[in-house]
Amino acid sequence: MALEVPCPHCGPRPFTEFAFGGEERPVEAADAEADFARVYLSANEEGPRRERWFHALGCRTWFSVARDTTTNGIGRA
Amino acid sequence: MSSLVFEGREVPVLEEDTVASSLYRAGVRTFTRSLKYHRRRSLYCGTGECPNCLVTVDGVPAVRSCVTPAREGMRVERAHGWPSTERDLLHVTDRLHRLMPVGFYYKTFIRPRFAWSLAERVIRRATGLGRLPEEGALGTPTARHLRTEVLIVGAGAAGLGAALDAARAGERVVVCDEAPIGSRLAPGPTLDRVRALEAEVRALAEVQVLDRHAALGVYEGPSVPLAAEDELVQVRAERIVVATGATQTHPVFPGNDLPGIWLGRAASRMVAQNHVPIGERVVVAASTEEGLEHLSALVAAGANIVAAVVPSSVRGEVPDSVATIVDGRVTSAQGRRQVAAVFVGSSEGTRRISCDALVLCLGLAPRDALARMAVDEAVEVIGDAALGEQEPHMHEDGMLCLCEDVSLHDIRQAWDEGYRSSEILKRYTTATMGPCQGAMCGTALACVARDLADSSGMPAQRAGTRTTSRPPARPVPLETLAAAVHEVIEKRTSLHEVHEAAGARLDWSGGWKRPFGYGDRREEYRAVRERVGLMDVGTLGKFLVAGTDAATLVDRMFPTRVRDLEPGRSRYLLSLDEAGYVLDDGLICALDDGDFYLTSTSGGAGRMDARLREWADLLGLHVHLLDRTAELGAINVAGPLARKVLEPLCNDPLDADAFPYPGHREIVVAGVPCRAIRTGFVGELAFELHHPRSRGPELWAALMRGGWAFDILPHGLDALELLRLEKGHLYLGQDTMPDDTPAKLGLSWAVDIGKGWFVGKPALERMASLPASRRLVGLGFDGGPEDTAELRGMPITLDGAVVGRVTSAERSIVLDRAIGLGWIRSAGDGFPTELRAGTAAARVEPTPFYDPEGVRVRG
Repeated sequence: MALEVPCPHCGPRPFTEFAFGGEERPVEAADAEADFARVYLSANEEGPRRERWFHALGCRTWFSVARDTTTNGIGRA
Repeated sequence: MSSLVFEGREVPVLEEDTVASSLYRAGVRTFTRSLKYHRRRSLYCGTGECPNCLVTVDGVPAVRSCVTPAREGMRVERAHGWPSTERDLLHVTDRLHRLMPVGFYYKTFIRPRFAWSLAERVIRRATGLGRLPEEGALGTPTARHLRTEVLIVGAGAAGLGAALDAARAGERVVVCDEAPIGSRLAPGPTLDRVRALEAEVRALAEVQVLDRHAALGVYEGPSVPLAAEDELVQVRAERIVVATGATQTHPVFPGNDLPGIWLGRAASRMVAQNHVPIGERVVVAASTEEGLEHLSALVAAGANIVAAVVPSSVRGEVPDSVATIVDGRVTSAQGRRQVAAVFVGSSEGTRRISCDALVLCLGLAPRDALARMAVDEAVEVIGDAALGEQEPHMHEDGMLCLCEDVSLHDIRQAWDEGYRSSEILKRYTTATMGPCQGAMCGTALACVARDLADSSGMPAQRAGTRTTSRPPARPVPLETLAAAVHEVIEKRTSLHEVHEAAGARLDWSGGWKRPFGYGDRREEYRAVRERVGLMDVGTLGKFLVAGTDAATLVDRMFPTRVRDLEPGRSRYLLSLDEAGYVLDDGLICALDDGDFYLTSTSGGAGRMDARLREWADLLGLHVHLLDRTAELGAINVAGPLARKVLEPLCNDPLDADAFPYPGHREIVVAGVPCRAIRTGFVGELAFELHHPRSRGPELWAALMRGGWAFDILPHGLDALELLRLEKGHLYLGQDTMPDDTPAKLGLSWAVDIGKGWFVGKPALERMASLPASRRLVGLGFDGGPEDTAELRGMPITLDGAVVGRVTSAERSIVLDRAIGLGWIRSAGDGFPTELRAGTAAARVEPTPFYDPEGVRVRG
């Protein structure tokens, strides 16, 4: 309810304006097996990680943020 | 004089009346019946904390009448009791108190097993806070967000003072209060101070005052949702100041819940503000400064105070006319319908004083629900809310929890049964779990638990903590919490009014209101197949992809071959996700200068835009993306005579040589500039005219006029369903599943697997080696139900085993038989072809069913 996401254009806004884009991950992989892992096997680790957000109800920009999954602390990556 | 209607009779309403005060003036003494024992309950706290005054107002149950302003014409009813609140036969349960201990129904109705379902029905009818209105929502609250530096919850003297300080220090401030400022204070010095502060605060531009907004909780951020009658405001602040004040202590002694027993604030407001006497013989027990103020207010209003029980330290401040009992203690109260006598113990022994009202001012209990909710958040607690916990006034027995009818005796018994901490006692007895959420009894429960732990040699600190404070801190209708959900945006094309005027049946389709039909579906269908039809397809997603990397983006994002797409040509476009599953489809049109114009399905438009932006960003490409969905309208002119309708309205060549299928051109139709795209969805010669939205109605009108001679008809989604099905075209979402690959849908022809990397290509390559497990196929039905709607969703069987499901079914008009689409599973050695769907024989057939060569589309 209370998470605020720092949009590079619009500043911090309530997360309900955004779409979550998942963990940041490479666009391509070396081979089919690595690609399977890239698509399906997200790290999902506790602690800080980088993830993608989309300001769907705002400027419609994609960007990356660093968020700590234990504290929900969030900042521009 | 205005009035409200109370259970069928008119009750006068005077200035400054609350619902409670007008009812009380009219002689109402029993406002509610208690939850379990149906004891009479009357006005008590007067500040919206306790459950005693809950009534039904205009059909809304559980309205706190003591803080609800009375208005002309209100319909007010009491909710409890059978047959009525006044004469409640269920009061017999009070006599059976000892037979109905806490949790008695869990213990009682165990065997036989059906006993509980019977008992539950009876218990449910006997309890509760009223009936919810049967007809839908009470209102349509809206939701909004608000950002500020300081949020101050509570606009009393402390809160307003803090607001002034913060604003003078240059901070932006929001002050909220659940009530209009000062409305719950009786006339007196405190109210005067609040009024003066209010005037100062309202004069400051930095301060925003949100009265009638109740803070529901403190969440991470910190952020605080505020509930008002017509909106939910999510406030996010740098810091929060809790200035919610304190409620008056609810003392526990035998008879403490009798009608005629008042907390000081309720009593002095009733006499000083509403000018209604609370009794002829009043006893006041006051041990606080505030209590002496209330005593003075009662004396000034002419109340007959038969005794004032005060501490010796303040004896001098009691008016001379009042008889005092020094350092006494109210030990019990007696009475049947209302209080008739109180017993006061002091050093001189116990005295019985007959009276008809008892006013209690025995301390303050901080309203600390919000403060205790805040964990690791920037929250400061000031004023009375910051008062420490005071030892509550408890004596022998009495009603501890007014909401849930839990007595001190019940708590002790539960303790003896082994429920040995405040949290466990709460869960077992439900004390503190009623409408007041422990505002009256939370401290008392913790203290009892502590005392009991002490006396049984347990660690008192652990057993006697205050129970966890959780949102909502104030009662709130669920519909307010769902405020944002109520905000449905109805999207309309520019032709909405045109369709309405034509008598179209408009209904939801995704987020849009679209025509499903204009009357006769068969005629609409025949117009397209035999002559010419019009359809509003302005809901389609429409996108411009421009810039130096436009071609690279569409090439790498879609499996479609686009490198060889000449300007003026278009192609079917599939959209895959990284797992190789089909997300959406549409058309891609190559424009003259290396740009592209894309369409998507109506429902997929938002996602298409998001994904175009996502991949442009991920691949680091220089492109300009323009979502033109809302800005452009589109009308599909389809049918063998489509060209005949358009040619007179248009100077551009439309013949198959100059404008072949599949292609697109910029043309001007009836003066309206359009991008015309030759499409094949309905399987006839068709021109989809994309035009500036604002010119939609005039274009539609010109086409209808031009088509008059050819019996042109508009058609809706119902006719389209059959038109596309005869062509075997699938509807994404209806005929597909979330994990359908192009191969499963028979769309491998739309994938250029030989080109370089594109989104989903590695996944498709990996899956290419897997055996085909499922496939979408065309189906021809024989001997099934007359109404093909019955076939939709029906399992497809092979020798009695389910091997698939019908996803679409229609009776084809041109073929005069039932056709459909459905998915089937592989039988191991290939896909079966002779199947059943219920009573119908289902045969796998090639698609399209109609015009398989596509001659008509190319015409």
